[in-house]
Amino acid sequence: MEAPGGASPLSPALVGRLRQEHEKVVTTCQEKIQHWKKVESDYEVLQERLRTLPDKLSYDIMVPFGPLAFMPGKLVNTNEVTVLLGDNWFSKCSAKQAVELVEHRKKYVRKAVDDLQKVMKNFESRVEFTEDLQKMSDAAGDFVDIREEIKDDSIETKGKYRTAHKPHSKPKVSDAFEVDFLANGRDTKSVGRFQSEEELWARLEELERQEEILGELDRMPDTVETNGEDTTSSEEEKEDKRMDLNGTYRVEDCITQGNFQKEVTNSDLFVRHVNGSTYYHSDDEDDTDVGDSSVPTIFFSHTVEPKRVRINTGKNTTLKFSEKKEEAKRKRKNSNGNGHGHATPELPNIKTPADIYRVFVDVVNGEYVPRKSILKSRSRENSVCSDTSENSAAEFDDRRGVQRSISCDEATQSDNSEGILEEEEEVGQQQLPKKLPASSGTTEAFSGTVIEKEPLSPSLIPHPVIAHPVLPTILEQKSEEVLSKASEETTKRISKFKAARMQQTN
Amino acid sequence: MAEQIQKKLQGELEKYQQLQKDLSKSVAARQKLEAQLTENNIVKEELELLDDTNTIFKLLGPVLVRQDMEDARVTVAKRLQYITGEIKRYEQQMQEMEKRSEQQRELLARLQHDFQRAQSKA
Repeated sequence: MEAPGGASPLSPALVGRLRQEHEKVVTTCQEKIQHWKKVESDYEVLQERLRTLPDKLSYDIMVPFGPLAFMPGKLVNTNEVTVLLGDNWFSKCSAKQAVELVEHRKKYVRKAVDDLQKVMKNFESRVEFTEDLQKMSDAAGDFVDIREEIKDDSIETKGKYRTAHKPHSKPKVSDAFEVDFLANGRDTKSVGRFQSEEELWARLEELERQEEILGELDRMPDTVETNGEDTTSSEEEKEDKRMDLNGTYRVEDCITQGNFQKEVTNSDLFVRHVNGSTYYHSDDEDDTDVGDSSVPTIFFSHTVEPKRVRINTGKNTTLKFSEKKEEAKRKRKNSNGNGHGHATPELPNIKTPADIYRVFVDVVNGEYVPRKSILKSRSRENSVCSDTSENSAAEFDDRRGVQRSISCDEATQSDNSEGILEEEEEVGQQQLPKKLPASSGTTEAFSGTVIEKEPLSPSLIPHPVIAHPVLPTILEQKSEEVLSKASEETTKRISKFKAARMQQTN
Repeated sequence: MAEQIQKKLQGELEKYQQLQKDLSKSVAARQKLEAQLTENNIVKEELELLDDTNTIFKLLGPVLVRQDMEDARVTVAKRLQYITGEIKRYEQQMQEMEKRSEQQRELLARLQHDFQRAQSKA
């Protein structure tokens, strides 16, 4: 019901017009039904006449002559009736045969009446609907009650509903954590801070892992907003706390952490922008329905928004690879419903290396960007090689999670990855952290990354999209910032703030 | 420039209107055929109800011409076939016209767009 000129589809004028049209149809149907009913009654009268006609051999009647004159006459051969069969065909039949013919015609008439009644009923219901619509649009004005029915099965709220608060709790925990350290380690500010930070990161990683175990990268519709707001507020709280304790650097840390958390939340919860975005509403809302109620109500259901994972390329790039994920999810659901009519979508049918490439490639800006090799430093997190000490600092939570799922697909991706093994590039902020590990592994006792391989990879298998993990890595390549060859390690996502911090610490 | 486009627009518009008229004519003809189809179906069934003892007439102008039952039935059947064939033909014609009018509509839209652009430029 698109109104020309872009007016609201519920504009009263249009709805009124629609209603009028519906009513017109209904009245037309009614008229036709009336007409046919009359015809039927006429036929009945005719039948009656035909039955009584042969009673007498002849009748004395007044024969009409023209429109005004009558003449006395006789009606003879009362049994002989010439019947018009239609289409200029006539036949002489007895009265009884004529009755049969009439009966046969009545059948058609009754059929027509039934059809018309069906149509009328349909349109009557439509009229009702438009009436309600009109009422709604009249009464609503600008206020429409929007309701969303949350179906737990369709929306993959997962445990994130619970776990979503974990990111919030994390900073708070780490707040106290950090405070302690700060209180204790004021002397050795640089080192102590560093260590506390590292421990903090360790704890963060741990918690993240726990989160991963609890709930995968499922979507979280509405809570995103609350989480976002909470995050913001918690961030502020953190900032307040830290302002007291430390200088700007600490605050930065806090912010970083907060943002980190935020990003964790974001990436987990499909938020668009990390920075400065207080309100997340990641999911697309569809107006699926117009509710019938005294208060104009719009019922909508969330569609799953493409997950945008924030790739820290330093340019605020976001990826939209979750479209595939959604598709895969839907397909999976459908296939589950259909009894797996086709190969599970998350396991693409790969027969040639070209297929591999095609599968694990994603479209960025309309072009195909190959996925970054998992053997690159950023993707190495989940590789078998467990030498993660050289890895860059902590990454995004879900990126890690996603990357973990790579381990499931290492085999399939290996071909692809080898081809781009040496092309890996990191973005500026992550360069230094990576360089850090490479150049001075001693300065960092803990690279900020704790890699968990086995326990998590099975839990991440259900990730609908396999290709996710590689996406971010390859996109960094697109940013065209070459990183040191220390990027042989598994790639890690780190918040750019963390990266900046790491850079500064080293 | 703008006038040119306007003239073209007018011409195309007329063509489109003509197409629409033809389309509606075809539609009307098809509806008539549909009615005839139903009627002939009824006649066929009623003829089957009757038997040879009844005399059958056909109205040709002001004259009622006597017919055989068999002839009548055959004639009616043939007429039915003819009508169905006509309907099919009209259907195709209508589709063709629909397509053409669609193209014409697009053309019109484009021309209109150009015209507006030209007008805004001028």
